[in-house]
Amino acid sequence: METIWLYQFRLIVIGDSTVGKSCLIRRFTEGRFAQVSDPTVGVDFFSRLVEIEPGKRIKLQIWDTAGQERFRSITRAYYRNSVGGLLLFDITNRRSFQNVHNWLEEARSHVQPHSIVFLLVGHKCDLEAQRQVTQHEAEKLAGAYGMRYVETSARDAINVEKAFVDLTREIFELVRNGDIQIQDGWEGVKSGFVPNTVHSSEEVTKGSRQCFC
Amino acid sequence: MEADPPSTGSPVLTPDSSSHDALLSAAAASPADSENLSPDELELLAKLEEQNRLLEADSKSMRSMSGSRRNSGSSLVSSSSASSNLSHFEEDTWILWGRIVNEWEEWRRKKDKLLKELIRKGIPHHFRAIVWQLLGNATDMPVKNQYSELLKMSSPCEKLIRRDIARTYPEHEFFKGQDSLGQEVLFNVMKAYSLVDREVGYCQGSAFIVGLLLMQMPEEEAFCVFVRLMQEYRLRELFKPSMAELGLCIYQFEYLLQEQLPELNVHFRSQSFHTSMYASSWFLTLFLTFLPLPVATRIFDIFMYEGLEIIFRVGLAILQYNQTDLIQLDMEGMSQHFQKVIPHQFDSCPDKLILRAYQVRYNPKRMKKLEKEYTTIKNKEMEEQIEIKRLRTENRLLKQRIETLEKGQVTRAQEAEENYVIKRELAVVRQQCNTASESLEKAQDTIRELQQQRHTEQFVNDLQTQLEESRLRQAELLGALKEMQDKVLDLEKSNCLPDENNMAALQEEVKQMKLRELETLRSFREMQDTVTDLNQRWQHHMSRGSSTGGGHWKESPKKNAMNELQDKLMTVRLREAQAQAELREVRLKGLSTYYIAIYLRGTAFRLIAKLYVQKRSSSRRKSSKEEVMAVRLREADSMAAMAELRQKIAELEIQKEEGLIKGQLNHSDSRQYISQLRDQIAELKNEVRDAIFYPPFEATLLNLPGSKDSVKNRLDSDRHAVGTPELLRRAKFHETVERIVRTSARRAGRF
Repeated sequence: METIWLYQFRLIVIGDSTVGKSCLIRRFTEGRFAQVSDPTVGVDFFSRLVEIEPGKRIKLQIWDTAGQERFRSITRAYYRNSVGGLLLFDITNRRSFQNVHNWLEEARSHVQPHSIVFLLVGHKCDLEAQRQVTQHEAEKLAGAYGMRYVETSARDAINVEKAFVDLTREIFELVRNGDIQIQDGWEGVKSGFVPNTVHSSEEVTKGSRQCFC
Repeated sequence: MEADPPSTGSPVLTPDSSSHDALLSAAAASPADSENLSPDELELLAKLEEQNRLLEADSKSMRSMSGSRRNSGSSLVSSSSASSNLSHFEEDTWILWGRIVNEWEEWRRKKDKLLKELIRKGIPHHFRAIVWQLLGNATDMPVKNQYSELLKMSSPCEKLIRRDIARTYPEHEFFKGQDSLGQEVLFNVMKAYSLVDREVGYCQGSAFIVGLLLMQMPEEEAFCVFVRLMQEYRLRELFKPSMAELGLCIYQFEYLLQEQLPELNVHFRSQSFHTSMYASSWFLTLFLTFLPLPVATRIFDIFMYEGLEIIFRVGLAILQYNQTDLIQLDMEGMSQHFQKVIPHQFDSCPDKLILRAYQVRYNPKRMKKLEKEYTTIKNKEMEEQIEIKRLRTENRLLKQRIETLEKGQVTRAQEAEENYVIKRELAVVRQQCNTASESLEKAQDTIRELQQQRHTEQFVNDLQTQLEESRLRQAELLGALKEMQDKVLDLEKSNCLPDENNMAALQEEVKQMKLRELETLRSFREMQDTVTDLNQRWQHHMSRGSSTGGGHWKESPKKNAMNELQDKLMTVRLREAQAQAELREVRLKGLSTYYIAIYLRGTAFRLIAKLYVQKRSSSRRKSSKEEVMAVRLREADSMAAMAELRQKIAELEIQKEEGLIKGQLNHSDSRQYISQLRDQIAELKNEVRDAIFYPPFEATLLNLPGSKDSVKNRLDSDRHAVGTPELLRRAKFHETVERIVRTSARRAGRF
């Protein structure tokens, strides 16, 4: 069963270690929440199809990155070919919120000459009791950086879909306006569906995926 | 901590005498060992090799995916034919390994090849602890003693470690749960190490290695082994913050890939499937996160003995094994394949993987070369980075400068405007100054000119005064000239110049002429009176005659004839008187001309003399040019005047001559006429005598007091006066005048 998608966007998920990047992605792509999972050593890769509007399907390639700073030498190679990104911080970890700036700098300095559309995500919003970052200040920061803000929880499946779909929609608008263009050699945005190679990803994940639309 | 029941041992062939020959043949392959190996050992070696061959043959049937990723305690189901001998093998291996452990040094140094092979076959589980320690040379480490101390300390990485511990081997029994012992000891070792090696601190992924160690041995030993691993096995370099070693490993791995699996390499590149995407964790966690524990532990065994080389080999083996599948997949597909398929490919038979690993060509020298290459590249990159950083800083600074400059631009623009205005003003003022100075100069020039003019004025005045003086002198000279002239005349007189005589004679003549003039005038008047009287009488007669009328007709012809004669006589006499008057006039004219001539001559003489004197004086003076010029002008003027005078003299002379000649002619005419008149008068007289009728008339006519006679006398005297000697004198006078004029002219010319 081949699905036809309009575009393929490559997204990168960045943020401090243990903020919940892998969890969020797994929740989104595999529909499951693993209480504990291995720390990402290097990069991990996931994908999923989203329907932003009836009839408009976008394929998302999502790169999960290691949060520890020293892994940046590996992960920074992935910024360039990403069109969108989720910048995660843990609302129960103030430090992770403070490091958002660093992550943004890191991404921006390595994405040249392209640019990435970021979404600021405050994760683990289910842990309200241990909150160390207010929604308001996070929104303010997001506004300052010119990006939107979403609070998510992979555990309770709060706003997980919304985060990815919103970002996808934003990128889609920019692509449609021509602000973002498909370029040769740039993996960020690809168009159409070339039935050339076997997309085993669809076949493999088909079974385990739960649709949360 | 006790060892688990052996479950992960690999089937090891027991020494079998039946294969002694094989062993021997195998032993021939390694002559170095043959000396050191016991027959048992040799046999063992042969068996191992045989097993390898079997495995090779069996490789096709090895694609079974069974078992979960992390099986704690689950034993591998072996499908090899030697499975029945498992327990037997295990016993044998245990003994063997016991021996190895006891004779470690010997085995390490002398039987290393066999050891290598044995390790490749896998270390029995409960020997691992000791063997790993032995392999890592971590049995007697000083740092061990520090361990308890380190635990008491706090590390900056604690929080991070804490968070990661929960995620390390989460499904492993030993580490399951937050309060599990496994997590605790793991935390301890990680913290301890982070304190020992501050540079590395804590790196995600390293926990997996420690965890594995902790599965085999207590924490202190694990700690020591880990320290060794980090320090001796390049792991430290891998986990350093820079992770430079990882880059090198990737670089080297890529080389191998390109060398030995070029098609796959091309495919990877075309799909932008970077090596780091799949291989990073291989090097960092030594396959512990990629492969199930049983397989990964086997690799770890070899790693303990042979180092990172095994990682390269295994990695490449995996790729080679999956080449056909991977080439067909796109990047996504490959990612999925790596994540889901590959990890369990060798679950059932790890030996195959290891065997394949050892079929990979690995050249240590080449690796070394690559290392150098990589270092060079990295250094270049670093330099470039530094340069970029430097340029960025420079750029930033320049931007700042631009900002400040731009900020200052406004003020500078204002200043520039003011400047401009001031400059304009200055220019205007300068121009004014220039014009003022120019006008000043002009004024000064004019002043100087005026001064000069005044000077010239004075000069002119001087000249004028000089002129006046010269004129005075001239006047004086004139006077002197006059004197000179008189002197000259005197000299002429004294030199018997006829001039003086002539002068005297002329003066006498003048007197005589004057007298005669007076006489002639008188006589003329007398004659006029007589004429008028006669006219009156005639008219009276005529009127009488007319009144009488015819009575006198007879007598009238005679009377008429008498009257006619009387008339004729009267007219003649009138004519005579007129002629004489004319003659006198002419003479007067002549005299006047003569006087004029004299005067003219005198003036000419004077002028000449003056000139002469002036010229002499002027030559003496030698004064300014103006004077000379003036003198010359005067000379020219006088010359002109002289010429005029000469002309006049000539004219007058001519007139005089004319007059004289006229006079002569008239005189001569009048003489003839007078003689004619006399004849007529004589006739008339005769006739009158004949006639008696008018005696008073005749008487009156004839009895004019000496009229006829006086006329006659006068005429005679006139004749006498206008005689030839007179003429001669006159001519002579004329000549002398001419002569004087000529000489004076000559004299003037000389000067």
